[in-house]
Amino acid sequence: MVGIVSYGFYVPKYRIKTEVIANVWGKNPEDVKKSLLIEEKAVAGIDEDSLTMAFESASSALSRVDVDRNKIKVVLFGSETHPYAVNPASTILAEFLGIEKNYLAYDTEFACKAATGALISAQGLIKSGYSDYALVTGSDKGMGKTHDVLEYTAASGAVSLLLGKDNLILEILDFESFSSDTPDFWRREGIRYPSHGGRFTGKPSYFYHIEEASKSLFKKTHLSAKDFSFAVFHMPNGKFPVQVANSLGFSPTQIKDSLTVNYLGNSYTASALMGLAAILEKAKPGNLIFLCSYGSGAGSDSFALRVTKNLFGKRRKEFKHVVEDKKYIDYPAYLKFMEII
Amino acid sequence: MNHLIGYHTTQFGELWDKSLFDLVEETISGVLKQTKLTNKQIDAVFFGNMLAGVLENNLHSTSKIAEILKVNIPIFRAEAACASGGAAFNLAKTYLEANSNKNVLVVGAEKMTDYSPEQTITALSAAASGEEQEAGLTFPGLYALMANFYLEKYHYTEENLAYVSVKNHFHGSLNSKAHFRRQITVKDVLSSPYVAFPLKVLDSSPISDGASAVILTNNRDLIKKQKNSVTVLASEVVTDTISLKERKQIDEILATKNVADIAFKNAKITRHDIDVAEVHDCFSIAEILAMEDLGFWKKGTGGQKIKEMSTMYGNGGSLIVNTSGGLKAAGHPVGATGIKQIGEIFLQLTGQAEKRQVRNAKYGLSHNVGGSGGTAVVTILAV
Amino acid sequence: MISPIKIWRRQKEIRKILNKKGKIVVWTKIYTPGSDFKKYAPYPVVLVELENKEKIYGQLVDYEDSDLKTGKKVVSVLRKVRSSSEEGVIAYGVKFKPL
Repeated sequence: MVGIVSYGFYVPKYRIKTEVIANVWGKNPEDVKKSLLIEEKAVAGIDEDSLTMAFESASSALSRVDVDRNKIKVVLFGSETHPYAVNPASTILAEFLGIEKNYLAYDTEFACKAATGALISAQGLIKSGYSDYALVTGSDKGMGKTHDVLEYTAASGAVSLLLGKDNLILEILDFESFSSDTPDFWRREGIRYPSHGGRFTGKPSYFYHIEEASKSLFKKTHLSAKDFSFAVFHMPNGKFPVQVANSLGFSPTQIKDSLTVNYLGNSYTASALMGLAAILEKAKPGNLIFLCSYGSGAGSDSFALRVTKNLFGKRRKEFKHVVEDKKYIDYPAYLKFMEII
Repeated sequence: MNHLIGYHTTQFGELWDKSLFDLVEETISGVLKQTKLTNKQIDAVFFGNMLAGVLENNLHSTSKIAEILKVNIPIFRAEAACASGGAAFNLAKTYLEANSNKNVLVVGAEKMTDYSPEQTITALSAAASGEEQEAGLTFPGLYALMANFYLEKYHYTEENLAYVSVKNHFHGSLNSKAHFRRQITVKDVLSSPYVAFPLKVLDSSPISDGASAVILTNNRDLIKKQKNSVTVLASEVVTDTISLKERKQIDEILATKNVADIAFKNAKITRHDIDVAEVHDCFSIAEILAMEDLGFWKKGTGGQKIKEMSTMYGNGGSLIVNTSGGLKAAGHPVGATGIKQIGEIFLQLTGQAEKRQVRNAKYGLSHNVGGSGGTAVVTILAV
Repeated sequence: MISPIKIWRRQKEIRKILNKKGKIVVWTKIYTPGSDFKKYAPYPVVLVELENKEKIYGQLVDYEDSDLKTGKKVVSVLRKVRSSSEEGVIAYGVKFKPL
């Protein structure tokens, strides 16, 4: 069985409250919060980018397991805010982690599902016998145009997963993927801010792909919503994951622990994986976890995961307490940190 | 014995209408006029300059000086960051020791105001270690580390530092060539904005333009003919690690300590003999550390001693420090500073220091530091 | 523009001093930086003695003013250290954050 040996996450220290942004644009903060279900979002510092955050999360993932770094022969870096347009971040990450040098590396891009797609590739590479371990990172310093709805949601964060065959904390029971050409959200070469299709990002995009990828996994695994202890979905805002969970038959209690978007915002590639990190603080051996990502353009990857008895002690990471170490910033500081000014 | 027979300096300040070599030309012709020498009587030139290569893409300045002076003699440039002037002087002295009956011109010059402060600050940080640069440590930053360490260790406050600037601005008000002629108060210093905590704008020497020149000779006949002449008792250079963190003590410039010991030994005089000193006060803390490391004040007492203001002109002290205004008020055109310091001592010892003339000054010392203490030069002069 | 070759040589050294704990020996806060650091200002720079006694300079990030004191425990992190041009290679290096 291939699965997850270890995980690490990184949330930058800074937060900006929804009301602070709303007040800048003369919006009623309560209206905004009600429509997005986001109280505040995590903001990376001015000297942080997807690579530095990826490094923090990956160091954490590698820190408490006894794994020979030279046995990690796959390093995949999913992001939609890679530090370079050309020049892989995966090799920079591997270099700073001290992974030498007989490894396969590439950066992946598929909007917010770049890392879950990489996860599928990585598990295949392990299954094929190419590598004993694979490191998959999702990291973004998400940026939205000022006075766009994305300004309230686009957040920063990173999650890394170390995949392997033995001594797993989380088994990957199965997965499915569903894709189509649906341009609901995009950013062209050399353009700084993403554009989106407004309400088109909902029904024909987010909901359609997640529902299809999820249903097809249910069918494949002969499992249904009630078999899972937890469910986590990509979280572009606070409403969408709750709605899609409901339509797939999950109850509010199955999803509530994953909803990091309410207090961290949408860290793009790391969004669904951040929800997973939050769940792992509570999950018990034998629990099944349903994970489904969404990437605009569009596609979804769905996973059925099972928690093993190894998820305890040092291998389980504090989440809530760690993300509570925060500092609020005002709007000018936000603009500075995002290098908008 | 080597003698210093003439000194000239341009105005120090923001000299918008003058280039680096306009300033060099002005000071060379000034010092030649003063000593009544012609260009043909100069046997070699030593030029102290730090930034022309970095800021102006301007190297091989030695041949530019040959062009200005219309000579075909040996000319050398010395670079040791802020001690470039002192280093050039030391090389000139050493050159004379190897060659008899020669007249050597020493010029120090810097043009700093053609560029934005950020560009100049970046250029100056070329004299710090790579690691210091990468951490974003500026020159004020390095001295701020020393200051913070010192204040904490000896329980002083920023007020103790402020007296250095008050004194040196008073001296600057008496020097017509100084960049700043304005007197300031302790309150002015304390209320000025931070440059690098705990150092503030008024703890810091300015970015200035200027050029200074002296003529050194070992030609006995010429010395006899000159109206003003002082003896070079010692000129010594000592170096140390470029990185502050590699030194044993953060609040001590070991190079200063060592070079002072050597210079006093060679000059065969004691610290008590010195009547006037120009010490390297690129920042207020630097003068306090210099006074301690040169051996004038006991280590750790400088913060208290400076408050007594005994080194200020007119207070009847036995040692008056930085009568030129120091780097703080006279200005700090990097390459020129070391020469201006020596020149100020020359003026004092020959009775030409006008409103700031220290009576009966017989021995003077100048102290020039490069970087955060990677180079220290001490020169001792006597009449 | 920073030389990519310098960056390449340097990163082998940087990785040896990441995730290391130490204590602040002395600190300052820079208000008037050089060009490459202008957008980070004001920023504290600390001299840290690591547990192995090695001394390293770095900026302090994610700090409160109360963290700026001698003896404060810190850990080294990876951050962008300077920004000289939009076109050049990115210089990553060591900074510290309070523990």
